[in-house]
Amino acid sequence: MRYSWGMLVGGVRVALGLFFLFLFSLLTPGALSAADYVGSDVCRTCHPNVFTPFFRNPHYKSIASGKEKPENTGCESCHGPGQDHVKAGGGKATIPVAFSGLAPEKVLDACLRCHSQTVSRANIRRSEHTQRDIVCTNCHSIHSSPAPKFLLAKQQQSEVCYGCHASVRAQFSMPFKHRVNEGFMQCTDCHNPHGSFAATWNMSARPRMVDQAGGNEEPCLKCHIDKRGPFVYEHAAVRVDGCETCHSPHGSTNARLLKRPVTFTLCLECHNGFANFGRRLDGPQNPSASHNLADPRYQNCTTCHVRIHGSNGSQLFFR
Amino acid sequence: MTTTKSAPFLFAMLAITLHAQIPVAPTAESVGLPRGDTISGYNVRQSFELGYRWHSVGGDTGMYRSTVNYGNGPRLLSSSLSVNSVDGHGGYFDLLQINTLGLGNDPYESASLRLEKNRLYRYDLSWRSDAYYNPGLTISGGEHFLDTVRHVQDHDLTLFPQSSFKFFLGYSSNTQTGPALTTVQQFDVRGDEYPLFADIRRAQHEYRLGAELNLMGFRLNVLHAWVDFKDDTPVGLGVPSQGNNPADLNSLTSLQRSEPYHGTSPYWRVALFRENKLWAANGRFSYVAGHRAFVDDETAFGFNRVGAPTGTQIVTLGNAERPALAGNFTFSLFPSAMLTLTNQTSISHIRMVGNSYYTQITNGVFSTPFNPFTFLGIRTIANSTDADLRLTKWFAVRAGYEYSTRRIRSIEGADITGVTTPPSARVPIEQENGLHTGLLGLRIRPLKALSILLDTEIGRADHPIYPVSQRNYETYRGRIEYKLKSFRLAGYSRTDYNTNSASLANFASRSRQHGIDGSWIPKNWFSIDASYTKLHLDTLGAINYFAQLTVGPPQQVTTDQSRYVSNIHSGNLSARVSIRQRVDVSVGYSLVQDVGGSVRSGTDALVCDPSGGCAGIFGLAVVPTSQTFPLRYLSPQGRVSLRISEKVRWNAGYQYYGYHQDFSALQNYRAHTGYTSVLWAF
Repeated sequence: MRYSWGMLVGGVRVALGLFFLFLFSLLTPGALSAADYVGSDVCRTCHPNVFTPFFRNPHYKSIASGKEKPENTGCESCHGPGQDHVKAGGGKATIPVAFSGLAPEKVLDACLRCHSQTVSRANIRRSEHTQRDIVCTNCHSIHSSPAPKFLLAKQQQSEVCYGCHASVRAQFSMPFKHRVNEGFMQCTDCHNPHGSFAATWNMSARPRMVDQAGGNEEPCLKCHIDKRGPFVYEHAAVRVDGCETCHSPHGSTNARLLKRPVTFTLCLECHNGFANFGRRLDGPQNPSASHNLADPRYQNCTTCHVRIHGSNGSQLFFR
Repeated sequence: MTTTKSAPFLFAMLAITLHAQIPVAPTAESVGLPRGDTISGYNVRQSFELGYRWHSVGGDTGMYRSTVNYGNGPRLLSSSLSVNSVDGHGGYFDLLQINTLGLGNDPYESASLRLEKNRLYRYDLSWRSDAYYNPGLTISGGEHFLDTVRHVQDHDLTLFPQSSFKFFLGYSSNTQTGPALTTVQQFDVRGDEYPLFADIRRAQHEYRLGAELNLMGFRLNVLHAWVDFKDDTPVGLGVPSQGNNPADLNSLTSLQRSEPYHGTSPYWRVALFRENKLWAANGRFSYVAGHRAFVDDETAFGFNRVGAPTGTQIVTLGNAERPALAGNFTFSLFPSAMLTLTNQTSISHIRMVGNSYYTQITNGVFSTPFNPFTFLGIRTIANSTDADLRLTKWFAVRAGYEYSTRRIRSIEGADITGVTTPPSARVPIEQENGLHTGLLGLRIRPLKALSILLDTEIGRADHPIYPVSQRNYETYRGRIEYKLKSFRLAGYSRTDYNTNSASLANFASRSRQHGIDGSWIPKNWFSIDASYTKLHLDTLGAINYFAQLTVGPPQQVTTDQSRYVSNIHSGNLSARVSIRQRVDVSVGYSLVQDVGGSVRSGTDALVCDPSGGCAGIFGLAVVPTSQTFPLRYLSPQGRVSLRISEKVRWNAGYQYYGYHQDFSALQNYRAHTGYTSVLWAF
């Protein structure tokens, strides 16, 4: 048998066709007939309490559009085709996707079918929440959200988070805290609950859910603009290990969210002069002999070292 | 088939539990679920809560303002307006939503607006204001006082939000203004410290432009932003001052400082991501070119430490640069529904380069100007791999490993005019740090209502940069939760240990958190919620300082240790009763109490005063000393909300704040706050 050029081209075409068919089969779910979809108006017949206010729901866009495919429109875009459910005269068992009975990963799959298309959710599959089975419906209420935005399950965003993070609630109950309970801030000002990119301002695998400021900096700098620098003289601890070296960001019993009630012990715990530490490996410099630490005058380090976050005029942060 | 009539009400109950430590106003209860009025194809709903706040403080008003800060006066405590297109085909918009909080002079005010036209645009506005008052405790004995107002606003416009090609436009501003106190030390290192008045004026403006494109299944998101920062805070001495140490001969008769400071931080952010059934990948790259230009001109007159008249003028000017590059790449594989494998690589490279010109004139003598320069470069590379295996419906395990390496390069020096530092002196000091981290977690769900989470993370670093940095650390976490319909009970425990010991220095910290919390809504007219958390922190670090322990010059103490112990008990309780769906009564109690630490010996029980330091601590210079700062902060509250009609509620609430610390009564206060309001929703 002789092999012609045409046969070769044909073979390649068949192989490519099979390859793309294989890829297509991987990427697309099993197709359903359009006849399986009944449309949201049918759902309305038995579920008027859900459908009547649904025009306020962001998901109503799919119905209003009128251009979406049946599997992307209204109730059936999330709950699946309703034909069997209608034929059976209702019943939870006949709803193809009933969220109350879904495994967490299936809930995630259902929502991400549309909602994966944003960079803020690019890491949701590997996020700490997902790895602990905390998925969309744990925080969002699609049909009965009391929140003005994002269909949150509770009126205040912080209340959603406190539901699991009770220790964080305790921290925000302290006398000195960021004003989250008061409504000035929200948890998402600093955190990305859908999973953030790895923090690159320090070495540790933690924190994992902290969102970066625009330029990949710590989120503290979104508000604390004067601490951003750059400065001619940086307090290296701020840049190398981050603001948490000295501050407890959620709340503290100490003024200015400091980790210690007095300043000098906070400073001395690093500035002990012991070698091998510090940016120059000669140890963060300990106070010189002119500092009599028994005198309260020298116990408030920042009285003289005023520009402790960074200075342009003084290596010792005097001005 | 319909849900029961009580479901919305029950949901509303669920929504307003867990409010114990939230300020008593605005009112959490709503008048119901208003249907709104439909006008010209739009459904309109509004609510306004207009009321009056009052407060009465006994004790330290400064501390009250620092921690609570609610005042007197009429307020629009909250309001909302939502306008929805009924058919989703409105004219210029399909959704208009406005929400406000605390308008009319509350210290914490906010407003948000969303305006949206399906498929065409979405506009979000957020405006916030924070009146920040801090008497400057701890820092400089109260001399770094702040009474500033920060305004933050963000505008984001997305064009074609539902299409495969979107545009983003954004603007943010952040301003901080108000009076403050700062300090300066004059005229030499043995001089005195003087409080100065500063009129803070700083602002940052950010402009954003971006696009997102869906191309062959990949999403490409590109954003460019221009960030402009200005700080022009004048600093001066109000009246001649003897300084903090009036017994010495130092004094300052005048000081004027002007330090305009301007900078830009333009940045690029590019992200590419895709997810499908078998794998997901995303990458992100960002680059920021931070730049600051500054001038500092300071003129001071007074008397130096020997009582001689002294005048100095210091001029500093220059530039600082900080280019920062960061990249992340994450690849996840989903070979089966049971298994997720993820590998993430990140790199960060940041350089800080600064040059300035420094000159000083003292008593007419022009000292030799010099050019300080500094360089700090940090490059971090990290790679992590984790696997999440869902073995059965009720059991899953996850494990991961991360290695990160960091190189730090540093130069600090100065060129004296006419004597340039030889290039050899500019060779950076270089160090490498490595950190290995492993984690293991279990997820067990023996019953549908019961879930158990166990996690551990262990890290080993070979060369931490600071004594307090993480070196050998271990974290253990556990959580158990039982959740059945309207009942939820959860308990958790977390322990963090870190030990960082070198040849001469040691540092160890132990942090433990344990807690339990639960909520129960047995009836649609009653709910209760409670939580208790114990936060323990115990750190011990080697310190090295000079102290005058006996007559004579200060002696160096190298064998002392700083021990800090904190044992905080925090509890919240809230309950709510609705009487015939007409009267809602809610009560809450919040308590934070640091009981301090254990006493090792009779002379070891020291408490530290934030305003005055730990007087006498160095009498025990060579034995471990305990710093502990016992305090109690409590806040009970109660609220009555009466439904007058379908659309109107009358509300009244009271909240008490009590702050008490053991060391000094000067900062204690007790505050009675309250409000009354009318909530109108239609």
